[in-house]
Amino acid sequence: MTEHHEVPSPIGEKVKRVDALDKVTGEAVFADDLKFGSDLLHGRVVRSVHPHALIKGIDSSKALTLPGVKAVVTGEDTTNRIGLYLKDRYTFCRDRVRYVGDPVAGVIATSVEIAETGCDLIDIEYQFLEPVLDPLQGIQERAPLIHPDLGEYPVADFIFPKPGTNISNHFKVRKGDVEAAWSNCEVIIEKSFHVPHIQHAPIEPHVAVAQVDHTGRITLWGSSQSPFAQRNLIAESLGISQRDVRVISPYVGGGFGSKAGVSMEALAVVMAQAVPGHPVKVRLTREEEFFCAFVRQGLVAKIKVGATKDGKLLAMKTEYYWDAGAYTEYGVNITRAAGYSSTGPYEIPNVWCDSYCVYTNHPVGGPMRGFGMPEIHWGIEQVMDMVAEELQMDKVDFRLLNCLRAGSITATGSEMHPTGLTECITQSAQAIQWSTEETASAPHKRRGKGIAIMWKAPAMPPNAGSSAWIRFNEDATISIGIGGQELGQGSHTVATQMAAATLGVPMEWIHISGPIDTEYSPYEWQTVASRLTWSMGNAIVEAAKDARGQILDLVAEHWGEDSQNLDIKEGLVISYRSEQTLPLQNLVVYGLPKADGSGWRGGPIIGHGNFMPTYVTSLDYETGQGERAVVHFTTGCQAVDLEVDTETGQITLLRVASAFDVGKAINPDQVRAQMEGGVVQGASTTLFEHLKLEDGVPVNPSFVDYRIASSVDAPAEIIPIIVEVPQDDGPWGARGIGEHSMVPTAPAIANALADALNLRILDLPLTAEKVFFALQEKGGAT
Amino acid sequence: MILPLPDLPSFDYIRPKSYQQVSELLHQQSEDVRPFMGGTDLFVQMRDQIIAPKILVDVKLLPGMISIEYDHEVGLHLGAAVNLNAIAKHPEVIEYYPLLVEAANSVASYQLRNRATIGGNLCNASPAADMAPSLLILEAKLIAVGLNGERVIPVNEFFRAPGENALERGELLKRIEIKPPPEGWFGKYLKLGRNAEGDLAIAGVAVLGFPDQTAESGYRFRIALSSVAPTPIQALKAEEILNQGPISEESIEAAAITSRDACQPIDDVRASGNYRKAMVEVLIRRGLEEVWSAIQVGG
Amino acid sequence: MAKHIISLTVNGVREYVEVPSNMTLLTLLRERLGLTGTKDGCSAGECGACTVLMNFEPVNACLTLAVEAEDAVILTVEGLPQDGRLDPVQQAIIDHGATQCGFCTPGVILSARALLDRNPSPSEWEIKDALRGNLCRCTGYTRIIRAIQDAAVGGADD
Ligand SMILES: Cc1cc2nc3c(=O)[nH]c(=O)nc-3n(C[C@H](O)[C@H](O)[C@H](O)COP(=O)(O)OP(=O)(O)OC[C@H]3O[C@@H](n4cnc5c(N)ncnc54)[C@H](O)[C@@H]3O)c2cc1C
Ligand code: FES
Ligand code: FES
Repeated sequence: MTEHHEVPSPIGEKVKRVDALDKVTGEAVFADDLKFGSDLLHGRVVRSVHPHALIKGIDSSKALTLPGVKAVVTGEDTTNRIGLYLKDRYTFCRDRVRYVGDPVAGVIATSVEIAETGCDLIDIEYQFLEPVLDPLQGIQERAPLIHPDLGEYPVADFIFPKPGTNISNHFKVRKGDVEAAWSNCEVIIEKSFHVPHIQHAPIEPHVAVAQVDHTGRITLWGSSQSPFAQRNLIAESLGISQRDVRVISPYVGGGFGSKAGVSMEALAVVMAQAVPGHPVKVRLTREEEFFCAFVRQGLVAKIKVGATKDGKLLAMKTEYYWDAGAYTEYGVNITRAAGYSSTGPYEIPNVWCDSYCVYTNHPVGGPMRGFGMPEIHWGIEQVMDMVAEELQMDKVDFRLLNCLRAGSITATGSEMHPTGLTECITQSAQAIQWSTEETASAPHKRRGKGIAIMWKAPAMPPNAGSSAWIRFNEDATISIGIGGQELGQGSHTVATQMAAATLGVPMEWIHISGPIDTEYSPYEWQTVASRLTWSMGNAIVEAAKDARGQILDLVAEHWGEDSQNLDIKEGLVISYRSEQTLPLQNLVVYGLPKADGSGWRGGPIIGHGNFMPTYVTSLDYETGQGERAVVHFTTGCQAVDLEVDTETGQITLLRVASAFDVGKAINPDQVRAQMEGGVVQGASTTLFEHLKLEDGVPVNPSFVDYRIASSVDAPAEIIPIIVEVPQDDGPWGARGIGEHSMVPTAPAIANALADALNLRILDLPLTAEKVFFALQEKGGAT
Repeated sequence: MILPLPDLPSFDYIRPKSYQQVSELLHQQSEDVRPFMGGTDLFVQMRDQIIAPKILVDVKLLPGMISIEYDHEVGLHLGAAVNLNAIAKHPEVIEYYPLLVEAANSVASYQLRNRATIGGNLCNASPAADMAPSLLILEAKLIAVGLNGERVIPVNEFFRAPGENALERGELLKRIEIKPPPEGWFGKYLKLGRNAEGDLAIAGVAVLGFPDQTAESGYRFRIALSSVAPTPIQALKAEEILNQGPISEESIEAAAITSRDACQPIDDVRASGNYRKAMVEVLIRRGLEEVWSAIQVGG
Repeated sequence: MAKHIISLTVNGVREYVEVPSNMTLLTLLRERLGLTGTKDGCSAGECGACTVLMNFEPVNACLTLAVEAEDAVILTVEGLPQDGRLDPVQQAIIDHGATQCGFCTPGVILSARALLDRNPSPSEWEIKDALRGNLCRCTGYTRIIRAIQDAAVGGADD
């Protein structure tokens, strides 16, 4: 065999984002940028102003006489319930409203302004009901029932609603004997934590345009993380075939979970059905965005942890009460994920958890970056700190002693796969000089360091699948079809790298086909759960291998060689045996002529591939135990060095180290970018964010009243650290990182604050005001 | 709850030809006509459905509205429609009134400050108006123009209630006049928001000090506050403590506590009244300490 | 409601348009002139996604009336490349991976362009301060700041 030089693979290299040029030039098309011409009509929505009431009557007659108003739709126009895991809502309310913002009627008109005026002309008569404004109130036996028909709702087989109550899911873990274990504990800490509602606040608000043709076929354009799930759920709710619903979704201007599943998109569809032939556009205002799509659920967490004298965790009991809001697109599954992850990334022999998803008359809880994990780790990681304090153990050592390693048994009795958590801990601690005491910059300031660790699995049905196709053009450039959405996380770039590496072509030859269009794009369950690099990545590799195999077989036949000896390098088919080469151009579309002129062989190459995990087992309803609860866990750690002003309570983040085991960083620069963005989003939610609900009414739904971090709030230094312990079924060993990078941020900050001031705050957010008064109560800084 | 409109509601836009014309319009149809300059308060209030004027008059186009003039004898004259960035980058404002630069830069964002005007900030009469405390301690005079010509309103008589100012029917704010700065003065605007910069104030504090032989302490101090009462206010009692002197850690603390007690802040989405009070004390103390160390003769 | 015929220069092109009084500059650009690179994230002056340069200074197009742009020179993200070459800020954003979802990016770039025009070598703090009106939910800002430092003439340190 002759010498051949190794062509560098783009895997693991610093590769620029493939979507960056589109995005810096303004060429990137987002849903609101699509143009529909003069047939376009506009929809606006009349929303409930009451948290809980019966609808006694709707009078749209005045609105219908307004010139320019084309139609009005109400709950009468929706027949079947819709929902991802639990079909618990009508697109427009029938009979009852359950939160402030619940859609009651839709007005379709020739302009946004007329539609809005039309909304003002609709009279709705309500009969008020007592609202449920707190999950602890909601689980009381005498609490008003928000969904009296809960028992009739279709539900996924791993979700367990309790009809006759406000509990839409109850997930239990019973491992070992918790009650017996307490007596063997040297230290027991028991605390209650509160996590308020927050909102994803993507800078692009939700927008959807729907059009129904005269045969009833529906096209929906939207800013969507879940085009296929939307297609499925909308088709089911309308009682039509998935074939007859087409969802098209261009670039998404930030999702973080808010654009997953179906929220306002169904409104546009129902409105479009009233005016066949016309596209109808619905766009949320920023204020609506804050409470009319999804919010992150609130949580009350009661956590009790016990450890032995030598610092070994022995028992943990948790109760999670999720403030799920009026309906639960994802909340029921967040509740489940919180249950099977209830211990955090620790090995604990005795575990008890009750995780309840509780209906309240609050905005609809949806998935948000971390899917319940930031919320539960807020409490878990503070309690672990307190246990270490009580034992007078170093907090890093305590975590190293107890954290999960390969082979550890998790809360669900499953075996932990290889994981780099301990490296994440040591490296992030080192990055902020964990053991060095720092001096504050002024007498009225204090420095503090804190650490927090995390785990998170993709929370999804056991069989969530991905698929991909690869198609060649005449010049051997390539179009890749995927159904995974580019939300900013960089999936298009990673997809391009993987395809290029597998096929043996330069990245520049590859183009990701867009927009995602359920009519043409291959199936992808949803762009959620940080699952694309892993799951869609596997499908792309399969598709690329398929195409590659077809090409090599063709050329092997052409050369009369064995395809085993052939390879593709930089777009050339080469033979290691005969040293022949053949460029991919032309042959990938036109095939190759037979040498004797007797005809041709081959044909246009199209590769396809899919991936679906097949090994996730169900968990016992009574104990939550099972062989393999999830596909895998990404683990990580953040360490925070901060300064706090004792006179104002303001926290300044000086250094945040962020280390995650991503299995394999396909694109290390993008992994770091996720970690940086996650730290700042996490810090923002920790320090500032709280969607304030007063009697169910959101009182701060704007960026002026609901502050998110701006450039001036970014920590002085973020240190991203990549740890790579490969995932057995990940492409090149990769697993996800998108969501994880904000999971431990809040407790790491709280732990650093505790270090600085010697006080604990158990309720988010850590506003300056809250810190200030906590310090006052304690009698000032020491 | 009333949600903001998706777009601005309908109105007619007018480019005025003269002050007289505007005054007449305002006089005849004061309910329906609103002057505007940057629109950063007005448009937002219209979108929020708080007000619904039928006619908007673009008064920044009137002569003199965007002029900045400085003279050692007369002081600084700012057209009402001078935007906050224009103030912050004007060489003589930077040199003689750095306090105004600090206050202007504390507002929202750079792009918003290209539109937001000093006059709009005052006329809007928000308790949180960031330009108000500095103008109060600089004893600015506001020149209003109406059907009967110009009239002077001292800034400390301008704010009546949240959203309510002392302009009369048919009147327009035309100019803001500020005296030449006293010899040896130093001023400071300290603003506390929920995040590092750019928030509306939880509390805003302007402090000014200069040597003055007519004051018992040999120094005169002026203090004004925003976001802690129904209107921007002066802390006259606290000023008095310092003017009597002697100036020491104790009198500074006393002035800070007195200022705090002068506030009647509300609870809102940004902060509780109690936090605001506590922060006034901290900010005043910090401001006074900084000002005092800058102005002490030979100190 | 009265309409106004205005003329203005957008990305070097003279435009004559008839606009209603309540039309914002943002709507004019996006819906009338088809310049959808400028984004609408809040319609209320809070997020900066709509930032464009009006007479060389950044403004929130959502809080500026179209009629106010009479005779103005407007620059949007589409007008930034010169002779087919990206503006150095655009290039630096690509090089530093400083865009993710990209929705804030046009506004960020125009704020940064204006900053560098008035202050060719800004300090890190000056960059942060100039950008505080451009909310970005994805990047955490760190890369944006580095990119602008890189695009700055001389790339000054603090
Ligand atoms: C996102 C955002 C953030 C903000 N942050 C801050 C902040 O941090 N600090 C702060 O102080 N403010 C803030 N504001 C408020 C606002 O930007 C300022 O008050 C600004 O200075 C108002 O000036 P303007 O020219 O835009 O006023 P306009 O909106 O044009 O006018 C304001 C009011 O004054 C009236 N008016 C206008 N001109 C005249 C005149 N010549 N005579 C009489 N009446 C007149 C108008 O009818 C209106 O009632 C913020 C606003 C927004 C949208
Ligand atoms: S859209 Fe103009 S600032 Fe948000
Ligand atoms: S890149 Fe998504 S908002 Fe900035």
